[in-house]
Amino acid sequence: MIANLRQSISDWIFRASVPETPPVTLVQRRIFILPTRQGYTFAFTMLLLLVSSINYALSLGFILTFTLVSMAGVAMLHTWRNLAHLKLRPGRCDPVFAGDTAHFGVTVETPSLTRFAIAVRRRGEEPVYADVLAHESKLVSLPVAAPRRGLLRCGRLEIYTRYPVGLFHAWSYVDFDLRVIVYPRPDPAAGSPPQHSRSASEEGIPVPGDEEFNMLRAYHAGDAPKLIAWKALAREQGLLTKEFSAMASSELWLDWNEAHAPDTEARLSVLSHWVIQAERYGQSYGLRIPGVSIPPGRGEAHRTRCLEALALFGA
Amino acid sequence: MKAQPPSPHLDVRNVMWLLAAMVFVVAPHMLRLPYWVGVFFLVVVAWRAWIAWAAMHHPSRWVTALLTLAASVATFTQYGRIFGREAGVTLLIVMSSLKLLETHTQREVTLSIYLGFFLVLTNFLFSQGIPLGLYMLVCVWIFVATLVGFNRVGSSPTLSERLRPAGALIIQALPLMVAFFILFPRAQGPLWALPQDTRAGSTGLSDTMTPGNISNLIKSDAIAFRVQFDGDRPPFSKLYWRGPVMTEFDGATWSMPPIAPPGGLSYSKREMRSTYTITLEPHNKTWLFALDVPAVVPPGAYALGDLELRDRRPVAERKRYEVTSYLDYRYGERTSRAVLEASLRFDESRNPRTVALARQWARESPDARALLAKVFQYYNREFTYTLEPPALDRRDPYDDFLFESKKGFCEHYAGSFALLMRAAGIPARIVTGYQGGEVNPINHELVVRQADAHAWTEIWLPDQGWLRVDPTAAVSPLRVENGVNAALGPIGVMNSIIAADPLGVLVNIRNAWQAMNSQWDQWVIGYNTDKQRQFFSSLGFPSVDWRTLGFWLLVSTFVVGGAVTLGLLVRDRPPRREASLVAWNRFCAKLAAAGLPRAPHEGPLDFLARIKSARPGCGEPAEDITGRYVQARYGDGATREELQELARRVRRFRPA
Repeated sequence: MIANLRQSISDWIFRASVPETPPVTLVQRRIFILPTRQGYTFAFTMLLLLVSSINYALSLGFILTFTLVSMAGVAMLHTWRNLAHLKLRPGRCDPVFAGDTAHFGVTVETPSLTRFAIAVRRRGEEPVYADVLAHESKLVSLPVAAPRRGLLRCGRLEIYTRYPVGLFHAWSYVDFDLRVIVYPRPDPAAGSPPQHSRSASEEGIPVPGDEEFNMLRAYHAGDAPKLIAWKALAREQGLLTKEFSAMASSELWLDWNEAHAPDTEARLSVLSHWVIQAERYGQSYGLRIPGVSIPPGRGEAHRTRCLEALALFGA
Repeated sequence: MKAQPPSPHLDVRNVMWLLAAMVFVVAPHMLRLPYWVGVFFLVVVAWRAWIAWAAMHHPSRWVTALLTLAASVATFTQYGRIFGREAGVTLLIVMSSLKLLETHTQREVTLSIYLGFFLVLTNFLFSQGIPLGLYMLVCVWIFVATLVGFNRVGSSPTLSERLRPAGALIIQALPLMVAFFILFPRAQGPLWALPQDTRAGSTGLSDTMTPGNISNLIKSDAIAFRVQFDGDRPPFSKLYWRGPVMTEFDGATWSMPPIAPPGGLSYSKREMRSTYTITLEPHNKTWLFALDVPAVVPPGAYALGDLELRDRRPVAERKRYEVTSYLDYRYGERTSRAVLEASLRFDESRNPRTVALARQWARESPDARALLAKVFQYYNREFTYTLEPPALDRRDPYDDFLFESKKGFCEHYAGSFALLMRAAGIPARIVTGYQGGEVNPINHELVVRQADAHAWTEIWLPDQGWLRVDPTAAVSPLRVENGVNAALGPIGVMNSIIAADPLGVLVNIRNAWQAMNSQWDQWVIGYNTDKQRQFFSSLGFPSVDWRTLGFWLLVSTFVVGGAVTLGLLVRDRPPRREASLVAWNRFCAKLAAAGLPRAPHEGPLDFLARIKSARPGCGEPAEDITGRYVQARYGDGATREELQELARRVRRFRPA
């Protein structure tokens, strides 16, 4: 109840412009602080200690009580400054397939002191804790389930801390409008892309692939070890990479109408699977769905473009 | 509801810290309470440690419920109640340990730590001395460190990462604590009735005297009271601190009269005036101590006819009072018949040999002075003053003492002497109290310990009134002149060690320690409404009520709190990059003054190259400064400390 009220009050006080321009520094007016439930229990304990000290005329009891009360006051400052001046930047938010876990990244950087137990969370979700060392930046990655395809928005993030003694909750909000693109979950039952959709031109243009040996070329960093021409190396011809080519006899069109499935989402899953398959077999493929037509191509960027189109279909 | 913060799995190390903190805080209680309490506590703590260590299941609810019930029953059986100091603390310890047993969430951990703070407080019910105070400070530190550990979610802090922040929190809290301590209005008296045994365990004189009970008391090194004299201290032979006066006698035990004799301070000679302040340790009795004879009675107290000073309430807290006494006096020439008759009464059937001897002497020497001389002669002949007298016959103890053992302590001499006097027809009574004391050379206080407990007698002679006669002095004059240690040799382990130290270093240490304790007792433990008033009037506020205190409390909270806040926040303001530029400009200005100005287009590294070739003498510091500047301004930036170091080096830089 109180937490809800607190949330809505601070929502009202704290109408941040969305999205904010990074980096966001948590300046004084952005930080809120209130006692935690443990803080209130502590206050009650202090009251009991005080009453007992008065009643039994225990001077050392007074000293104990006042030390702890003052410590709580100092702890409030420490909690506040554990959050103050932190610098936040949006971090990596890689696309995922529906059903996987998406990660929203926020980079936290401290200009001065090391900060302990900095928590970041989305509203109503479990926080992720991180220690941020002085002069270092730390990527905090918030795992979020991505059950459905589409655009998953992170929404406003709460960054908070209760360090050092948990009596106070200092918090601030930041909204970088982080988003993760959730691709439709590939449907493995869909099999390979339908072959009959190959177009008439049958002469065959070799495109890079791994089915048929084509030529040797100079080694580039990152080439798979299994592609290295070890025999050539043994003959002291240097590091060479075997290049295979798939006989991409034609352009493959992954067509909405060819994907037979009961509903739109299932259809998108089928197409998603086909895109992945086509890419894996090194085929050049195009995508045709209502409203979007992506000309045939290959490679990571192309695949991403196709999957994005599927993810955002109808959006 | 907002989602609860996760209850991260309680880290084993954190749990161990919590358990260690609990053991630390309960340890002093284990020495005071029945041994089963300590055993129970340690077993439960070990059980909890094992649960954490081996990742076992917590015991089920009914097991803890059963243990709770068993512990409550044990407590009740032990004390016959569950309230009161010992019983309450026992119950609290037992319950805290059981609480630990079922602690498995962060919130329960926090509750356990708060319970720990309460256990710290219960220790102060037993002692508020400096050693325990310091020990409890360490306990609080460990508790706060434990709290810090539990709040380091997501990582496991090192030892110093726990202790340092906790220490910083406590140290930064101290200024405000001191302000609160001085200014918080103190209440007069308790808010509710104290449990009966709250102040139990204090030693002191009792209201009866049987041969043997003072020699038990004398083994205690505990302080009975402290005295500060206005002006010179009277000689030791005059320092008779008068306590309970015992007139009733049953043949073995002397006791106070059931009805106190009516009061009045009437005496005919008053000389050797002495004024002094006594700080009396609580003894739970109404009597106060003063030198014979008191003339000015402290407020709230009254004097009885036998010159006993009484407080209206039992002294349950340390009490300070001022008394003026006349050490040379004469009183009681006109004493009522009833009192004199009571001072002659004894049981004819007991101690028959003593009575017979006294009557024989009385016949031989009708003059009181001659009689006294005879008695003292007798004592002087074969008697020994000893702390370990043999046990005496129950029925006729004084016969046994005077004719058989002839070894005794002050109560033997005083008791037998008073009986001899009564049997000889001279009114006599026993006065108990303390004799002498020990002067602390550091603050010149006289410290009177339980070991200084003493018993002497008073006899009544028609033309002289009541006269003090100390038969112990006849046997052991040293006892009265130089104190009990001189007469009997060092008493107790501590005194033996101190006596064995030829250089007297230990004596000095003990004296310094006692002086410190005295200050602590007066200004910390004894800080009450009166002290508060005294403190404020010394500052120039004549009358202080709670409203004034509240006002200053508020002011000091803001001032002290504000200062601490500023101190904290200024320190971690992010360092300014311009600081490096300021330092660099100063560095360039120094070189320009030395005839080597930096050209406007010249970058730091080019300039450095030129400095090195032009002034090889200062090449090294210049390289160091330039390196630091480049790092701070163009590199990864610099911390506050690094910037300060840069500025320091520029300040020290001398272009050669």
